[in-house]
Amino acid sequence: MKWHRAAMAEAVEEGGVIAVDIDGTPVALYRLDGSVYATHNVCTHQFALLSDGYLEDGCIECPLHQGRFDVRTGKALCAPVSEGIRTYAVRVEGGVIFVSLDAPVSSDVSVADVASPAAAASADHARRSSDAGGERFVILGAGQAGGRAAEALRAAGFAGEVVLVGEEPVPPYERPPLSKEILTGKAGVESCALLAEPRWRELDIVLRLSTRAARIDTTAHVVALSDGSILPYGKLLVATGARARRLAVPGADLPGVHYLRTQADGLGLRNALRSGARLVVIGGGFIGLEVASSACDLGCAVTVVEQEARILNRILPAAAGDAIAERAAEAGVRLLTGARVTALEGTAAVEVVRLADGRRLEADIVVIGIGVIPNQELAVEAGIAAADGILVDEYGQTSAPDVFAAGDVAVYPYLVRGRRLRLESWHNAQEQAIAAARSMAGHLAPYRGTPWFWSDQFGANLQMIGLPQLTDLVACRSDLGGSSALFFMSESRLTGVIAFDDPEAIRLGRRLIESGASVDPVRLAERRTQSGATSTAPTHAAPRMDSEPMDLEPKGRGDETMISLQQPADSRSDGRSPSQAYVWPEEGLVRVPDWVYTDEEIYRREVERIFHGRTWNYVALEAEIPNSGDFTRSFLGPTPIVVTRAEDGSIHVFENRCAHRAAEFCRSLRGNAKEFVCPYHQWSYDLRGNLVGVPFRRGVDNKGGMPKDFSTADHGLRKLTVTTRRGVVFASYAEDMEPLENYLGPDILREFDATFDGRKLKVLGYYRNTVPGNWKLYHENLKDPYHATLLHTFLVTFGLLVAGNKSAMMCDATGRHGVMASAKSEGGGVDADRRKEMRAYREGMTLKEPRLIDYVEEFDSPWSVTMQTIWPNLIVQRELNTLGVRQIVPQGPNSFVMNWTMFGFEGDSDEMIRHRLRQGNLMGPAGFLGLEDNEAMKFVQDGMLRCPEGRHLVALDPDTEAGSSDTLISEAAIRAMYKHWRQELGL
Amino acid sequence: MMTAQKFPAPAVGVDGLFLRLELEAFNAEYARVLDDGDLRQWPAFFTDDATYVVTARENYDANLPVGLIYCEGKGMMEDRALAIRETAMFAPRYLRHYITNLLVEPVKDGGTIHATANYLVLETLLDNPEAHIHQTGRYIDRFVRVDGALRLKQRHCVYDNLMVPTSLVLPI
Repeated sequence: MKWHRAAMAEAVEEGGVIAVDIDGTPVALYRLDGSVYATHNVCTHQFALLSDGYLEDGCIECPLHQGRFDVRTGKALCAPVSEGIRTYAVRVEGGVIFVSLDAPVSSDVSVADVASPAAAASADHARRSSDAGGERFVILGAGQAGGRAAEALRAAGFAGEVVLVGEEPVPPYERPPLSKEILTGKAGVESCALLAEPRWRELDIVLRLSTRAARIDTTAHVVALSDGSILPYGKLLVATGARARRLAVPGADLPGVHYLRTQADGLGLRNALRSGARLVVIGGGFIGLEVASSACDLGCAVTVVEQEARILNRILPAAAGDAIAERAAEAGVRLLTGARVTALEGTAAVEVVRLADGRRLEADIVVIGIGVIPNQELAVEAGIAAADGILVDEYGQTSAPDVFAAGDVAVYPYLVRGRRLRLESWHNAQEQAIAAARSMAGHLAPYRGTPWFWSDQFGANLQMIGLPQLTDLVACRSDLGGSSALFFMSESRLTGVIAFDDPEAIRLGRRLIESGASVDPVRLAERRTQSGATSTAPTHAAPRMDSEPMDLEPKGRGDETMISLQQPADSRSDGRSPSQAYVWPEEGLVRVPDWVYTDEEIYRREVERIFHGRTWNYVALEAEIPNSGDFTRSFLGPTPIVVTRAEDGSIHVFENRCAHRAAEFCRSLRGNAKEFVCPYHQWSYDLRGNLVGVPFRRGVDNKGGMPKDFSTADHGLRKLTVTTRRGVVFASYAEDMEPLENYLGPDILREFDATFDGRKLKVLGYYRNTVPGNWKLYHENLKDPYHATLLHTFLVTFGLLVAGNKSAMMCDATGRHGVMASAKSEGGGVDADRRKEMRAYREGMTLKEPRLIDYVEEFDSPWSVTMQTIWPNLIVQRELNTLGVRQIVPQGPNSFVMNWTMFGFEGDSDEMIRHRLRQGNLMGPAGFLGLEDNEAMKFVQDGMLRCPEGRHLVALDPDTEAGSSDTLISEAAIRAMYKHWRQELGL
Repeated sequence: MMTAQKFPAPAVGVDGLFLRLELEAFNAEYARVLDDGDLRQWPAFFTDDATYVVTARENYDANLPVGLIYCEGKGMMEDRALAIRETAMFAPRYLRHYITNLLVEPVKDGGTIHATANYLVLETLLDNPEAHIHQTGRYIDRFVRVDGALRLKQRHCVYDNLMVPTSLVLPI
């Protein structure tokens, strides 16, 4: 046995591990309870050094994917490692550790190229936290954000010069009272100051008021000010906030027309409001309603004009908005919803507000509250990245070096929903600015602020925390005291709370959202049982949150600090307001407006409420993933997913998006794998989508790494619900979907089972094509038997479909699914008389290869052709003997991808397979019928895009309003689909 | 994979060069017929028992047999030419074929000539100002001589691009 000198004994501390190289073999040395052990240093799973790992309880945990080995025996202890690590004999003599490599090393990997991972990780941090003392930091904008940032810079120990530049002539103040106490006169402006005047001097902050920045030069690190001076900066915070959106109608500049954003605005309005005055508030958002509430208190006659169908429509569920509307009405406010202002009229001052429907509202005072626009122009002109606000990272840094942004103007990444947000709230302005200031001062702390809004109006206190979405599960609780709360959940985690006079619900919500803990909707709803009668009704909100009843009896004002709530950033860019513009034609289902097919907002809602809502979506055939470890890439709606078969044969579907940095990690069309490893940072997932390993999760040398409470169980891939029938795999974002059989209904199920008749499927191949048309046009095409003989003259010319063929167009009870069916003439061959008839139709035209349209009877069905449209993304094609499933993958409103998987059955003879392949010439993007459908859909979309704002006529067969019809000259199935679609989208 | 199909050595010598010129002329004429859009002439490039298949490389590599177009015998090609000419509805368009990188294997016993070529097919829709790439791929061909003239016994068009833009109307 040959012993190698490995290291000095004192080099290995108790409970520690070091790496050594022995004759080119990487070896890890450990000391446990005084004894030294040696193992090979490279993990048996993937290439990582165990000496960079974590030694605990006699086990070494690999830094890459948390595989564990017993260092004494080398035994592999947990997934993902299965092969043990080589161990070596050790002896310690005279203070020196000797290792014998006599037992051969199983791995022959060289470690020469492995860089120390510690260095790179800390370099960036070190650079960013360099000492900032002695510099000048400039803050643009002296509002809530700017003021708090200046204060926070000092609190963080920044000793250099701080200059706060503000456009208004007053030091920073709080805006929420402007719409409340200031208007009612209960408080003066002095009570709104952010800090008492002397405090600015104590903090040694230079206030440059009545001054605005004219230009930022990020290269030279200077700001040019409106007074002509040039201000060099070491670091810069842009906290320029937002300005009131102006109403673009004639007369909007008349005296008597007010906006409310600044202290001067507030004082001006207070002086104008007097008892008996007629006030018209344009905009039923939070500012408008708070002004209305205050004006009511002053004895004004108040009218609120809102162009949407409900006040607060973009922020709150309908029930909550309605509850506020009720309170407002009780207070004497006249609410005009669905009303658009076209002009303000008057001679010396405003006298009349004119509405689009011709109504004239007499007014002494008009207040316009229709949202705000971020003041990002300075930053944009300086080349700083912006998109409806200045983009910042979690530290508040913009795309320009040493330039930060915070508050109303900043768009920051929100972890919980994985989205970028721009929030317009007191809370966000303050907290984000403080976080940015700390970053500027070198104390890097990511801003993970949970959105929080607050409003007081008509005696009710309303709060919202988190980022609830319409598709979330909702639990509702309310008590006789009048308080109530809605808890929004996704994947059993709380995403948001909306509460009336229930601050306890908000505190609870904040805790649960920020901890990411699993919640039980029933327990949430029941939590407060001691307050008397409690409504415990956990319900599923999708697809329409506003369908839920909400028992709201707001009581007296809470005693918490008043915080203004404004509308969240509006991501819509087309300026169209949903419920205002999306009005279905009065004629009903016989007219379908173009925006159904061309509008981005409608498409967004479709993805949210249909594809990601309560639907079963086709994702794969089981025959594509027959063996354990098989996977295939697929889509659910537009969302990329992976379909896998796990070790136990079960099928799993999850989003193809790494839980870490969103990378679409799986790039192969299909294959076989033991696990999925994201190539970016090597996060690894098992076949079920569970997170298994996070490289350097424990950091290196006790530095860096994930937070201590990080749990892989909380960070798996987004998993979807799966079901299968007869070899066809479906998935859903909804967790409690009804069984597929119920979803399809008896008629559709019968036809589904007729095609998937129990024989094992055999995949023959794929077609994939794009179609420059809306995805619903494909459903309509197959719910439209009218087109079959008209567009597809091939069918008529060659005798596949002739007058007198038996045919049917069936729908399920909901109208969303359908089957178009026809039976070839008796006997499977083309009837001789019919053929003669056809020849007469097209002289001299016969097929040289008539096998193309032969039908080999193989199904227990009266139909030789069925086309099933299974909502929302599947077509099952049984065209004679050519069989396929077609998956619709929408790509926005104006195009979609069609993925065709053509199949036969195990046991098909070679000739039968070739028959199916020959018949394949009928369908697909090169099929005699298929190509025509694709072309026609392009023509339809072209027509809508080039002659826009029109309406389709879908009026055939008036005897059947919507649903199955006994004539083919009918569009009743299309109407049935839109009946369902309108319900799903709430239109 | 496509690259697995090897050609031991290109056809050389005077005969080899002459054959190569003949095949290039054949492909140029084939392209002209399709680019001119007269489908009636297209089946004449094939033998009576020829196969013509257009399929995605995705299928070819996985040994999946489907074809976007799948013709067994000249009769099916004539049917397609007729159906497209007489019954099919599609937006007017021009195609332009570019056929390059011809590889010819030495002729074996029986006289079947194995050859491959790359192709690029540009499509110009009449309502769009610019042409777009409709397909890029490879012909995998078997030629034989019929009465001395070259005819295709097999043309398999294997395209690289996964997606067909809207529809494939005219042959490749």
